[in-house]
Amino acid sequence: MADNDNVSGVEIQLDHVTKRYSGSREPAVKDVTMTIPAGKIVILVGPSGCGKTTTMRMINRLIEPTSGTITIGGEDALRLNADELRRKIGYAIQQAGLFPHFTVAQNIAVVPGLLGWDRKRIEQRVDEMMDLVGLDPAQFRTRYPRQLSGGQQQRVGVARALAADPPVLLMDEPFGAVDPITRGNLQDELLRLQTDLRKTIVFVTHDFDEAVKLGDKIAVLGEASTIMQYDTPEAILANPANDTVAGFVGAGASLKQLTLLRVRDVNYNDDALTAVSEDTSPAQLRSRMTEAGKTYALVLDGRRRPQRWVHVRDLSTAASLAAVGRPVGDLVSTQSTLQDALEAILAEGGNAVVTGTRGEYVGTIDIRTVTDTIQQIREEHETGSAAS
Amino acid sequence: MNLFAYIADRWDRLSLQALLHVSEVVQSTVIAAIAGVLIGVAVYRSPIGSAVATALASTILTIPSFALLGLLIPVFGLGATPTVIALVLYALLPITRNTIVGLAGVDPAVTDAAKGIGMNRLGVLTRVELRLAWPAILAGMRVATQMLMGIAVIAAYAKGPGLGGEVFSGLTRAGSANATNQALAGTLGVVVLALLLEGVYFLIARLTVSRGIRG
Amino acid sequence: MTTTTDVTGFSTESGSRRADRMRLFAQPAAVVVIVGLVLAWAFSRDNDEIEAQSIQAGVLLTKTWEHLVITAVVAAMVVGIAVPLGMLLTRTWARPAAPAFIGIANIGQAAPVLGVLVLFFLWTEWEGLWAAALPIAFYSLLPVLRNTITGIESVDPALVDAGRGIGMSSSGVLLRIELPLAIPLILAGLRTSLVLAVGTATLAFFVNGGGLGELIDTGYKLNRVPVLVVGAVLAVGLALLVDWIGAVLEEYLGPKGLS
Repeated sequence: MADNDNVSGVEIQLDHVTKRYSGSREPAVKDVTMTIPAGKIVILVGPSGCGKTTTMRMINRLIEPTSGTITIGGEDALRLNADELRRKIGYAIQQAGLFPHFTVAQNIAVVPGLLGWDRKRIEQRVDEMMDLVGLDPAQFRTRYPRQLSGGQQQRVGVARALAADPPVLLMDEPFGAVDPITRGNLQDELLRLQTDLRKTIVFVTHDFDEAVKLGDKIAVLGEASTIMQYDTPEAILANPANDTVAGFVGAGASLKQLTLLRVRDVNYNDDALTAVSEDTSPAQLRSRMTEAGKTYALVLDGRRRPQRWVHVRDLSTAASLAAVGRPVGDLVSTQSTLQDALEAILAEGGNAVVTGTRGEYVGTIDIRTVTDTIQQIREEHETGSAAS
Repeated sequence: MNLFAYIADRWDRLSLQALLHVSEVVQSTVIAAIAGVLIGVAVYRSPIGSAVATALASTILTIPSFALLGLLIPVFGLGATPTVIALVLYALLPITRNTIVGLAGVDPAVTDAAKGIGMNRLGVLTRVELRLAWPAILAGMRVATQMLMGIAVIAAYAKGPGLGGEVFSGLTRAGSANATNQALAGTLGVVVLALLLEGVYFLIARLTVSRGIRG
Repeated sequence: MTTTTDVTGFSTESGSRRADRMRLFAQPAAVVVIVGLVLAWAFSRDNDEIEAQSIQAGVLLTKTWEHLVITAVVAAMVVGIAVPLGMLLTRTWARPAAPAFIGIANIGQAAPVLGVLVLFFLWTEWEGLWAAALPIAFYSLLPVLRNTITGIESVDPALVDAGRGIGMSSSGVLLRIELPLAIPLILAGLRTSLVLAVGTATLAFFVNGGGLGELIDTGYKLNRVPVLVVGAVLAVGLALLVDWIGAVLEEYLGPKGLS
């Protein structure tokens, strides 16, 4: 892939890793072997108590494995000093785990401080990290965690985890304690960050939807962290390995697939008749519409942003294009998921307008496009699994 | 003479002093409990009243017991009177504070329900609120008693009754044969009595705290 | 930012928090007024020879100073012993030993302090400052020790986990996270210990340790009420001031950012 060159993450290898607590017969984690590719988000998902957190915590040795080896970027993690190892691995947890007696800036500065950076560099880095997670340094630097909302605390938690620019980031249900809307925003934010940073992220959750949304690959774990399926979200949704995974994927797998695809990935239409309101008269547009045999046209503003839908018969009485027809309702961008697009299509009652990065018109999408796409994916994965 | 021989030898006097010691502490606790509960009942509905009562009571607790005793001697003379006054004053804080906390902690829904089924103000207080606050009040009394056991020793300076006399005689007769035994008998006696009273409180709690609210 | 709360805001507080606030302002004022009035009375009245020997600035200052020194030495010993000991006893490997130490400190506080003082004197035959300060420190140890342990143990385990997870060493977590977060409770314990220390320092004169108790004793033995009253009022005033200092420390020394 072309975007491999700026990957800052490194590969993590778990090789026959087992954790057995003294006093219990069954191991908490039993013989896990997996490769977490560099620069990818890998989600460990499974029911509570399945050992997913234990597995993750063995990577930064908050829990020492009983047997097996773990290599991070080719280095044997078990041979390094545990504290030094952890300084090179970002760690974000539920409810952020911010130190309540440290300001936001002090919280973010902890790891750079431990690594002995000089003050100036730390200060710079703190501001940089706050910008990165969308908190204004001037406003938030000297605040204490309890003066922040849950979502803001999580942002600081992520900033702290990333402060020393570690190649690997471990996240243990980091968005588990915030409300659904904030959670959605934080997830989007994490994806945005990841497109630039390309870290190796190991993310633990029990929420399969979150896994589907964030993961490049998902490991569905069963008891004692046994890997039931380790694959891309698309593949797991289209073809669950067994009934347990299917149960975990839950109902509405097709709908979940819609969250995986972006409008830019599908063939939307770009043949709608458009007119810029400022330099087209109603009469001109009307003749163009008759010419093309269309009953509807889309009116754009000077910067080609969609404004209104007009019917051909609205034009006979109109003096200018500025006020005729019906305003465009829900828009979708090329970045939107197909699920968003489907919602917009249903709300608009036919097709939804697709806009580009600057909000300009690029096309329209209708329900046919969506259903065709699902069909296509399903066929791909079925033939794929038959072959393997 | 070792300690045990000494205790056996002076058993009559020691047991009498032990009895007096416990008796003055228990009496003072009971007086303070009555006063403390009355004060608590009077103020617990008013935040300001609660704050003033708590502040005053904790100020009293801050006063060195020896200084308070000294101030009481010119007014009340020597013996049991200044001792009991001092002990009652010291016992007030834990009991008043716990009464206020206990009463304020009663779920308003419960008192509401009691009023709803037709209990009058006094009925609600005595049959519901004080019953529910009783464990807290009892805990306050227990803390007060433990504290008074030690203060009562100091009160022997004002010729108050009890085991403190042994400690003081031990001190004044330092160097003589049985000085250490005497001070030790007094001190250990107080510790043993304190433990016994602790047991008594445990029994009282068992017997009087409604099983529905026992922790 | 709707969730932002004002740090300096005054909110409705429980009765005892309110009582604490009240004392924070009323206590030093009351001390100054009462001590001032009593001293004015004592110095202006017609003192006889015996009274005049005690009621003079030099003597009063010396006794007050001795009293303060005992209190300070005890406080230093209590902090110096109880805080490190408490920190030690919260380490995983030392935790089984904690009940034993708490038990010893419990006995220290439950035993009558005068008895402990006298016995220590009879056994060691020491006199003076240390003969008083050591048993008083033993007696005042428990609140700080117990609160240090409780304070550290009540730190949210997720914070310890976060600290370790981002690469702090275990001593780093103890010193930078656990201890600072335990400070409010430790200070509350210190205030209690200070009050115990300043109060029991009135008994120091029994072992020739000086202090304001000596004035009370002189007044009582020689039947001179003014001397007794001046000694007692100074002792009360000093105790209230020390308690007030404890309250101020509690108010302003705790880590920022907590409630």
